Amino acid sequence: MNNLVIQLANVNKCFGALHAVRNVSFEIQRGQVCGFLGPNGAGKSTTIRMIMSILLPDSGAINVLGGSALDAKDRIGYLPEERGLYRKMRVADFLRFMAKLKGIARADADVRIRSWLERVELPNVSQKRCEELSKGMQQKLQFIGAVLHEPPLLILDEPFSGLDPVNRRLLSSVVRQLQESGTTILFSTHQMEQAEDLCDQVLLIHKGEKVLDETMSQIHSRFDPRTILAQPANSIDAATQALKVVAGIESMRWSLEQKSFEIRLLEGVDPQHAMVQIMRATPLRRVELQRATLDDVFVKLVGDSVTKFEATSATEQVEANYG
Amino acid sequence: MAERGVTRRVRVIAWRDFRYTVLTKGFLIGAIILPGIMFAAIPLLPLLIDSKTAPLTGRVAVIDPSNSIAKALEITLPKTPEETIDLEEGATNTSTTDVALTVESVPDPSHAADLRLQLRDSSLQALIIISSNDDGPSTELLIPSEASPRHTTILEKSLREAVTRVRVSKANEDYERLTKLLARPKIDTRRVSPDGSESNENAQLRMLVPAGFMFLLWMAVITSGNYLLTSTIEEKSSRVMEVLLSAVSPIELLCGKLVGQAGVAGVMLLMYGGVGLAGLGAVAMLDVVPLPHLLWLVVWFPLAYFTVAAIMVSLGSAVSDLREAQSLIGPAMILLTVPLILWIPIVESPNGTLATVCSFIPPAAPFVMILRLTGANEPVPLVQALLAMFVSAATVVAILWAGARVFRVGVLMQGKPPSPMELLRWIKAR
Repeated sequence: MNNLVIQLANVNKCFGALHAVRNVSFEIQRGQVCGFLGPNGAGKSTTIRMIMSILLPDSGAINVLGGSALDAKDRIGYLPEERGLYRKMRVADFLRFMAKLKGIARADADVRIRSWLERVELPNVSQKRCEELSKGMQQKLQFIGAVLHEPPLLILDEPFSGLDPVNRRLLSSVVRQLQESGTTILFSTHQMEQAEDLCDQVLLIHKGEKVLDETMSQIHSRFDPRTILAQPANSIDAATQALKVVAGIESMRWSLEQKSFEIRLLEGVDPQHAMVQIMRATPLRRVELQRATLDDVFVKLVGDSVTKFEATSATEQVEANYG
Repeated sequence: MAERGVTRRVRVIAWRDFRYTVLTKGFLIGAIILPGIMFAAIPLLPLLIDSKTAPLTGRVAVIDPSNSIAKALEITLPKTPEETIDLEEGATNTSTTDVALTVESVPDPSHAADLRLQLRDSSLQALIIISSNDDGPSTELLIPSEASPRHTTILEKSLREAVTRVRVSKANEDYERLTKLLARPKIDTRRVSPDGSESNENAQLRMLVPAGFMFLLWMAVITSGNYLLTSTIEEKSSRVMEVLLSAVSPIELLCGKLVGQAGVAGVMLLMYGGVGLAGLGAVAMLDVVPLPHLLWLVVWFPLAYFTVAAIMVSLGSAVSDLREAQSLIGPAMILLTVPLILWIPIVESPNGTLATVCSFIPPAAPFVMILRLTGANEPVPLVQALLAMFVSAATVVAILWAGARVFRVGVLMQGKPPSPMELLRWIKAR
């Protein structure tokens, strides 16, 4: 049995002079949660629209659930980036309409609608018009429209944007439950914590090109940690002065949350050696190598300029606070 | 299995579009309640038409030294309300007026100033002044400023007849005999159909019936076309389009919308057409709409609808708001208004060069053909009707094909509207 749910091979898409997607290839296995990351305008939504057969690629091949998405629309749930509802329609009517499009019988649809509205904490809204709901509620409503027919493949374009932390957490838990029930999920996001929390696999595209396609464990092992957390035993001022003479430090900043220095090492510096040097320079209560976050990976891969900006800002911050 | 899915999705889209157009306040008022009120008013029409107008009572003064006109006027003024029906030649008037006028003969012209004063305060209904000059007697009729047109007509007709009576009498002729001799003979014109049945000729109605058919078709098609345009623009601007496209293909969405609005146009056609037929039935004139006319309407309705609808939906998909649509839709609307502007010459000469040429110009062709075929002053050659149907059907196929291609690209486009050249590129795109 073929376990591939989505397969892209050398897919290209141009809009006039803009080459939006360049030779992108990747595969997503059944039951996986794949995070689709990239900066604004990287080509995520265009790729997703091509996977959904809403846009056609200029070249390359796309296989979804064993064929074209056009033939499998009833087996795909899709939450587009642009939120859209029929404003004058009542909530239940809109969801019934979406259910009918996906081939669900009316009686079954009504049961599922009631259940899902309760599950995403939207009770007593079924008779309200869509325009009467808040933006977050509308987003949850649209999410229900995408999952109502229990699709084996769920594609979510920025599902967490615009949601408050409570609803973000709620939707995250629903996505996790869907994954546990065997649903394959591809979602694009700018929320790195959410992606780190949910994903088995991470795809990163930048300027239309794929720059990363790995599992989370591969990412953790590939991207060497270059940040050391060091909690001083003495005063912060004294530790700051002492650390300034340690070689190999690119920048450092005081983290109020961690109550430690976040010391970023220069490229090529051995973290083990640097830790020894830091311990020699000043007495410490705690020292540890920080694990590379998706945030770090994202910044490293897509934005040298962003990295430089952050480094400069961090140095200035330390200097302002302790220098 | 796949076909069942396509059919289901098209049906669901069509039903939503139909339901959310037909069940809006604007549509209910315009297309159902208004014709409903018109339908309910039909039985009241004869009562309204037969109602009496205000009575004409009072005094009429005639300044006539010979006293002959006053005597003749007493004879010619209507004695019963029924005599006031059909006052003017050629006009059909079924309403009646009670007339109770006293004629006062005033031989002395010096009283004219006093009588004019009475006219001004309406104590006199009319002042007639007969005077002689070199060309013979002249007649003046003076009436109060607030006199109704109908009362004026009654007085004019009675006075005209009185003057004629006096002339005939002076010539020593018999007025009644001459009237009979000079009366316009009534000609009973009837049309004989191929099956031998005869029907009365009514030239005015024969002009109006094709116009009625054309306006009915035009109104239903343009109204539903506009609904299609605005609903597509609304779906784009409210970003619901991508949600729909996640569940259906662009072609399924297009088909669903076209079918749904075809139902809307059908409802309008039935409602207004039904009211028209009921109105004709109420005045026993259903024979002016023979069955073949209705069958021609059934033939030309889908051709007219799909031509206009495909234009509207593809333009709706290409733009972001109604204002942008107006600039693109202009050329098509100019062609669509051709039958509205030229309906009189087309009906007067249904086989003339103008009518024949317009029959083959899309998108106006269906409307021109319904004018020609229901006019029937002279039968339209069958080959022309078939050729026009073929041209219109080919136009529908071409516009639907191009419209589908524009729709496929346009539905997700935002920002500035495409130029005509860009639209062409969309049509040619793979």
